[in-house]
Formats: sequence, C-alpha cells, structure tokens
Amino acid sequence: MALLEARGVGKRFGAVVALSDGRLRVEAGEIHALLGANGCGKSTLCKTVAGAVAPDAGTIAIDAEPRRFRGPRDAERAGIALFYQELSLIPQLSVEANLGLGHEPRTRLGFIDRRSLRARARELIALFDGVAGPELTPEALIADLTPDLRQIVEILKVLAREPRLLILDEATAALDGRQAERLFEILRRRKSEGVSTLMISHRLDEVFAVADRITVMRGGATVAELASAETDRDTVVRHMVGETKLRPAAGRRPPAVQAEAGLVVAHVSNPRLRDVSLRVAPGEIIGLGGLQGQGQSAFLQGLFGVLPFSSGAVTLAGEPFMPARPADAIRRGLAYVSGDRGRDAALSGRSIFENLIAAVLVREKRALVRRSALVPRATQHADSLRTKYASLAAAIGTLSGGNQQKVFIARWLATGPRVILLDDPTKGIDLSAKADLLAIMRQLADEGASILIYSSEDAELLEWCDRVAVFNAGRIVAELAENTLDPFHLTRASYGEVA
Amino acid sequence: MSTALIRSRPWMLTLAALIVLVLVNTAFQPSFVQPAVLQSNLTTFLPLALVAIGQTYVVLSGDIDLSVGAMAALVNVVTVSVIAAIGGEGMAAILAGMLAGLATALLCGLLNGLLVALLRLQAIVTTFATGIVFAGAALFVLPQAGLPVPERFWRSYGATLLGLPVVLWILLAGLAFTLVFARRPFAAHLLAVGGSRVGAFQTGLRLERIRIGAFVLSGLFAGFAALCLTGETASGDPLLGQSLALSSISAVVLGGTALSGGSGSPVGSVLGALVLGMIGNVIFFAGLPFAWQTLVQGVIVLAALAGGVLVTRR
Amino acid sequence: MTARALLTNPLTLAAGAIALLLAIGEALSPGFAQGDQIVRLTTVAAILGIVAAGQNLVILGGREGIDLSVGPMVSLGAVIAGNVMAGQDAAILPAVLAACAVTFAIGLVNGLGVTVIRIPPLVMTLGMTAIIQGGLVVYSQGVPSGNAAPALMAFVNRPLLFGLPGILLVWAVIALALGFVLRCTAFGLGVYAIGANERAAMLVGLPVARIRCLLYGFSGLFAGLAGVCVIGYTGSSFISVGDQYVLTSIIAVVIGGTSLAGGAGGYLGTVLGALALVLLQSVLTTLQLETYGRQMIFGLTLLVLMLLYGRQARLRV
Repeated sequence: MALLEARGVGKRFGAVVALSDGRLRVEAGEIHALLGANGCGKSTLCKTVAGAVAPDAGTIAIDAEPRRFRGPRDAERAGIALFYQELSLIPQLSVEANLGLGHEPRTRLGFIDRRSLRARARELIALFDGVAGPELTPEALIADLTPDLRQIVEILKVLAREPRLLILDEATAALDGRQAERLFEILRRRKSEGVSTLMISHRLDEVFAVADRITVMRGGATVAELASAETDRDTVVRHMVGETKLRPAAGRRPPAVQAEAGLVVAHVSNPRLRDVSLRVAPGEIIGLGGLQGQGQSAFLQGLFGVLPFSSGAVTLAGEPFMPARPADAIRRGLAYVSGDRGRDAALSGRSIFENLIAAVLVREKRALVRRSALVPRATQHADSLRTKYASLAAAIGTLSGGNQQKVFIARWLATGPRVILLDDPTKGIDLSAKADLLAIMRQLADEGASILIYSSEDAELLEWCDRVAVFNAGRIVAELAENTLDPFHLTRASYGEVA
Repeated sequence: MSTALIRSRPWMLTLAALIVLVLVNTAFQPSFVQPAVLQSNLTTFLPLALVAIGQTYVVLSGDIDLSVGAMAALVNVVTVSVIAAIGGEGMAAILAGMLAGLATALLCGLLNGLLVALLRLQAIVTTFATGIVFAGAALFVLPQAGLPVPERFWRSYGATLLGLPVVLWILLAGLAFTLVFARRPFAAHLLAVGGSRVGAFQTGLRLERIRIGAFVLSGLFAGFAALCLTGETASGDPLLGQSLALSSISAVVLGGTALSGGSGSPVGSVLGALVLGMIGNVIFFAGLPFAWQTLVQGVIVLAALAGGVLVTRR
Repeated sequence: MTARALLTNPLTLAAGAIALLLAIGEALSPGFAQGDQIVRLTTVAAILGIVAAGQNLVILGGREGIDLSVGPMVSLGAVIAGNVMAGQDAAILPAVLAACAVTFAIGLVNGLGVTVIRIPPLVMTLGMTAIIQGGLVVYSQGVPSGNAAPALMAFVNRPLLFGLPGILLVWAVIALALGFVLRCTAFGLGVYAIGANERAAMLVGLPVARIRCLLYGFSGLFAGLAGVCVIGYTGSSFISVGDQYVLTSIIAVVIGGTSLAGGAGGYLGTVLGALALVLLQSVLTTLQLETYGRQMIFGLTLLVLMLLYGRQARLRV
C-alpha cells in the first residue's frame, strides 16, 4: 500500500494552468525524486500534497484513504512535513527555540521545559555532527549562522516533527558536499524506519545517488515513473525534454567577434554567485539558463548595482564598470527589467505616464517633467511595443500583466540603453506579448545593444538567444551555442551535468 | 567577546550606564543613598518602569503602542471616580475602583489589539488615534483634576511591608512576572512573530492571538502604572502621563530591545526606565538652569534612542 | 468619471462635507455662512493648510511617514519670528527667513534620523517634539515673548486684494507651487514613486533617501511659515501655540484622500480637508461641545478614515 498516492491533480492560477495531470505514488520507506524542467508543475504538486495549495481537481490519498487538506496544519497532522527554503526560521531566535517553535515541550505548570528543549535540539544537531562546524549549537542565534547552517536548521526543524513523509524542495542548495552526503545518510536511515522522502533537486548525480524511484513531469503532467536502478541520466533528461523539436535557426547570430566593445565580466562573486565570467558583444542576445534560483538573478542584479559584486572585474565598452547603485548603472546605459513587476517595477497607483518616464528623468538628469517633450516620447515607446492602453493618464493597475510589462520595458527603451538585463521578463504575460517582446529585443540587438536574458521558460531561451550560459548553484556550468543549443543539453546542464 | 556579550545581552550596557548615573548622582547629591530618598526616587520611576514592561511586549511582537499614556490617564480617572461614587474610606470601594481601572485598561488594550491585528491597521497611527480617544474619554469621566482618593489608598502605597517599601515590592513583582512569563511558550511565540512574521506564519503560529495578547499586556501594565500614579498623586488627573508614550518607547530602546521587533527583554526596559529617571535626576542636581533641563533631557533621550536603534539593528 | 467614481472620490466627499457643515452651521446659528465669517474661517484654515502641506509631503513619501513635530515647530516659528521682528515692520523679512531656516534645518534632522539611522518616523518626530519644546523653554524662559509687526498683522487679518487678506493669497500661491512641484518636477514624481513602491523607485535610480530627507525638511519649513502666520494672526506667541496642529494636520491630509500608506493623494484634497476640519471645529464650538467631545470626535474620525483607506494586506504562504 502506498503511503501517498496522488491522481489527476490539477491546479490553475487565473488563466495559467500550473498542473493538469499530476500523478505521484510514494511508497512507505522510499526516497522518491520529482524531476522536470522549469514550470513543469513539480513545486505546485508538492504544495498540494503539503496542504499549502488547494487543488482544483484530482485526489490525494494517504494510506489509501482520500484526504482533503484545508491547510498545512492538516497535512502536518497526517504526517507530512514540507521544507521551506529558509523562510520559516526566525533570525533573532536561538536554534533550539526555532526547532521547538509552536511545539515547545512543557512542564506540568505550562512553562517551556528548557532542559528537554535543549536536549532535543542537541539530539537533532548531533545528526549533522562533524559536518556542521562548531558554531551550530542550541544557543546560537540563527542570524549569526552561515547560510549552510541555516539550511541545516531548517532541515532539522522538519525532521523534528517526525513526519512519515518529508518533502524537501531543493534542500541541499546551500549545503556543501559532505553536508549533503550526511543528509542523504539520514534520509536512508529514516527510510529503514519506514519514513519516506520526496525530493526536488537541481542535481542529477544527487538524484541517482539517493533516490529509489523517480517521477518525471513535463508541462503540468506526470510523464514517467522510473526506478532509478533501471534507468540512466540521458533517459531521464529525454523524458523531461519530451519530443525534441529542432527550432529554426533564423535570426541567430554567429559567435561574436568584437566582445571587448560590449560587456566583459571576469570572475565576479557576490553572496549568491561564485566566480562567474561572461562576455557579451554588442548585438548579442545571451541567455542565462538553469533551474530557478541558481544565481541568474543575482548576476543581473550585480551588474545593475543592486547586489554589488564583492570581487572580480567588469568592463563596459573597454571602461571599468562597477556600479554601487542602480543610478550608476543607468547613467552608463544599463536597463533592468524584472519579472516580479509588483515588487520591482510597478509604481502602484501612479499613471502609465509616470511609470514610463521615471528612468528617463534619472538617465537624463532632468529636473522638470516637460509633458510637451515627454508625452510624445512616452507614446512612441509604448506604441513601438504595441502596448494597449486607453490613456497615458490611466493608472498602471488598469492594464493587463502583459501590457504592464510592456510599459516597464518601454520605460527602459526610452533611456536608449546599451545593455539590457531581463530578469525572467515574461512571467505571467500572454503569448502575443511575448512575441512582441522578442521582436523588439531582436531589433534592439540589431541596433547594437547587448542583451542578457534570464527566463524560467527554457523554450524562450532556446528560441531567442544566440548563446545560453547555464547556471547551477551560483556558477556557470556550461555555455551552449550552435549545435549544443538544444533542449537536451540545456536540461542536462541545468541539472549540473557538465557537457 | 565583549561585543558578543553586548549583542546577546544589550541590557548589560544599560546596567552599566545605570551604575555610572547612580555614582554621578550620589556625587552631586550625597543624600541619594538614604532609604527615604531612594524610596521617593523609586516612587517617581515606578510608573514608567511598569509601562515600559508592557510596551516591551508590544514592541517585541513587532508593533508599537502610543496610547499607553492616555490609557494610564483613563484608568486613573476611572479608578478615582468609582471610589468616589461608592464613597467612604472602606477597602471595598478602593478594591472596586482598582478593579474597574484594570478592567478599563484591559478593554483598551483589547481594542488596540483588535484594530491592529484583526482589522490590519497600522499599529503606530492606530494607537495614536485610540490614544486621542482614550484621552478624550478621560476628560469626559473627569473634566478637571481632583477627587482625592481615601487616605488608606496612598498611605498603603507609601508604606513599607516586611521592612521594604511597597513601591519596591511592586517593582519586584513586575520583574518576577517578566521572568515567569519569559518561560511560557507564549513569550517565545511573541518573539517569533516580531522576528519574522512570515516565518511565524509558516510555522503555524496564530499571529492574531499573539499580537492581541501583547496589546492586552501593554494595556494591563499601563493600568498598573496608573494605579501607582494614583497612589502617588492621591487624586485624579485626566491629563496625567502625557509623556509616557515617548518615555516608555525610549526606555524599551535603551533597554536593548529592537524597535523592529523580535529581540530584547522587559528586564532591559525596566533598566532603561531607571536610566531615564536617573538622567533627569542628574540633570537636576548637576545645577543646570531649570529652563535647560527639558532640552538637555530631550537631546539625551533622542541620542540614546538613535544609539539604541543603531546597536540593535542588524 | 462615472457617477459612482465621482461619489467615492475623496475630493467630492470633502467638498460635500464642507457644504454639509456650512448648512448645519447656518441652521444652528444664522449668519454662520456669511461672507466675512467665511473669510475669517478660511484664514484659520489657511494656517492649518500650510502646516498640512508639509504633513502631506511626508505622508506621501510613505514608509509610515508622519511628522508629529509640526506642533512645536509652529510654536518655534512663531517665537523666532516674534523675537526677530519685535514689532518692527522692517524686520518682517529677516523674521520669516530666520523662522523658516531654523525649522527647515530641524526638519532635515528628522529626515536624517528616519533615513540614515532608520528610527520609525513617528518615534523620531515625537522625540524631536520633546527637544523643540525644551528648546522653546530655554529660548523664552517661560514668558511669552516677541511681537508681531503691524504690517504682518494687517497682512494676515485685513483685506488686501479683492477683499481677501494676504494670508489667503500666500496659501493660494503655496497650493499652486506645490501642485506644480508634485505634478511637473522630477522631485514630485520621486515623492510619489518612493511612496508607491520604494524598491521600484530605487531600481529606476531615484535617490530615495535624499528625497525622503528633504520631505521632512519641507515639513519643518511649512510649519515654521505657519508659525509666522500664527503670530501675525494673534499678535503674540506662547510656546504651546502650535500644539493644536499635530492631530488636525494629519486629519486634514487623510480627509483629503492622501493615503497613510503613501504614494497617492495630493494637496488639493488637503486644502479641502483643512477647510472641512476648520468648519467642523467651528460647528462643534457652536454646539458648545466641550474639549473631550471634540477630541474624541477627532480621534474617531481618524480611526474611521483609516478603516476606509488604510488597511494592510493579509499574509499568505
């Protein structure tokens, strides 16, 4: 009898179908890996199983008994615990307080039983004995811990609930090799006690080292269930990729010749990047590929002065370039378009006009907003992207997501940028808007701009880019061009498999 | 090592400042160490110390309570009015008055908590507004200062019990409460909510209940402080305690509690309140012209606030 | 604008409130809505409106922006101006400049505390309140000091142009200037931008901290200027003359439709808000409502306005 069996699980977010046919069967006492390219629905499936997202369709059964979770608490009571990427820790509290939070052992008088709280914390920390370093003590504050130790505490917090099914979504992202190996030992030991693990990982070697079975998803549906002993990496990658369609090579450029005239990045690092080097010539469109959160955004934000690089060197058109804040980058001709419009771009409640001209004012150091000069420019740039709007005076919130994004791109086009940084720019916009965006990017590149684009949709990178640099755990693991620029190589490199 | 100690126990710095201030004060005013002088000083500092304890719980949970002064005034006038309405010198009237005052405090705190946590209004402006309403209510209950309380009330407040002044017992009781309370799971949850609201939410804590609880505690401590003020002034005054909001926040920050929430301790705030009181004392006895005292005190308080915010910021 | 949008527009609501209050006032005491009476009330509203201009800027800038030190700042402006001019017409200009320069500088200190040290605005300006009050005690040694010059009093109280006193012209100029700055300058766009979304403003390269700092400076400046008007209105000053403007300036801004969360609103609404509030005060006085009643009504008004405009988002996973 399976511990968990999910069938036909579906979930829509607005018009977007995140999950159409999620199937998953986890036996008691096994380690199960869930794999797939970006946007295949694996995270959504995990969240429905953990009660964090309510599915629209399908059944989830625990011990063959159908369940409907109303929230994470219900799932927790059923023995399912979900690992959150560091988000559930309280930085100002000690390790022991975090491990016990909400489940503190109590004395008969209702006080916190500090002795058993500490003993329990020691017991849990001992699981990572020898690989965690001496700073990890029950008394240490989370804020004082390095990212790897915080991640270990987050893992211990999940283990402390003694669940029957552990769901680990990228739980090894911040761990070093020995720490990850220890985690797998713990999971194997739990397995012999009948505890199951469902893992999402960005490394195929890891998956083949620990997982008993593998479920592969593609386009919101489960496409394969494999026993890891009976398959190999290339087969798994092929399942993730599906039928490979060779895309037409029209518009793709030959490798650049005069890279010095563009952006040359040498050995840069910041808290989420390790030793990244890349050259982008004028006229090139370079993709940043890989699974989500592998350092692509950190790289773009480093170039834009939001998360400045701590080491390394960058030159732009031969001149040194190390922006400390966005204004520095903007005045050197950079532009940054984020996919998280609500957080990073929208001046909510303000007019389309204001949203559109904000960057021009900074770039051109204007003191006055001369409507007579700026309105025609704003109109021209908005129209060049075929933005649909009633009037420039309307609030930005009255536009659809795609048209909002066009306004935020027009905001930068108006500054006449030399380097355009696109950070997952097509998130939540429709197909025709995407096509418009591609056309304008190609046109700008033809006019001599360098374009760096990170997209969580692999198809866009393959279709749009001249080259793709694939990120894994803060490094570039492969640069794909010409005959290696295909879904197979991209997915393989995303999972850390170097060509 | 010393920086680590200051970071984990910022109130050590406050304690050191307090000791220095006591020494300086004793140098200016040799009679400071006499029991009677100590008692009268403690009587002056006690209300702020109590309010600061309650304020700490709100600040720890990531909010702020600007209505503490007005709540104290309202509790004071409710207490004296109830005692006067029942009449006589009897213990029953006094107890009824105190209970009515504390019930008022509890309701005020609950109202703040409901508005902020359930209706999701900004804590800072909401408590500013409720403070104005409470102050108006205090003026409604008692338009002018007056209504002396029975002698028994203020005599017992100024008396000694088992050889120690009652005011000292009250302070010790307040401190004992904070120490006992710190061991309850609720205290840990309070810190978690203030430290990271998202994290506490994901861990499954009931944020609304916890935040409301903090405001109720703040109300209750403002109520106790009001009863002490009533014992000190022996009458009602609707304009009482106007400086308590700023002073209690200063005491909390001086005691090493981060205004952003999540770290700190009420014991530190009590020390912070004593430091504030002693700063006033030292300025007074240093022979500064009277007119300068408010200014100098204001500058020191703001500088200490800024320093405290800088030290507790991570 | 649709009929519904027109009805829920804060400007329409504020204008409606003004009309309603005028009608109530006229019904309670005939003559309430007469010409010279209205000019007198508008003069009172002008002083409040000038204080509220600064408050409005600070609130527009967001991040819990608020300035509680405008009260003592008005007193400070009045005391400085009164002492500098000391009844001399010739000294009016230096008096105005001195009052505004000092309050502008103190406002900048508020701004630095809020942006550099990151003290919550309400706490910072409350702390500054205590300091200014202390400073006023030192400066005036507890006795009312300073006299308005006759020309200033005439400017504030007597008709100057079209039967209107000069202060109303000053208020109109401020309103036009502020409208221009907020609508037609990069600074104004920056104010709305940092209030609407500070991170997005930073990402388009706007100098977020510098803008916010200046807002507190301007808040001080407007309060100082209002202080000069106060001494022109009353002839002399005392050190708590500005206290009444703290709460009323905030309410005037909120009635006028400026969001306490920042990033939305404008000064025209605040002008209407100041007028409505002064009318409300006047009606309450006509009703002979005592201090407590007025205070509770103001506090409740602020709470109700927050419920209408100021709720925060719910947490989600």
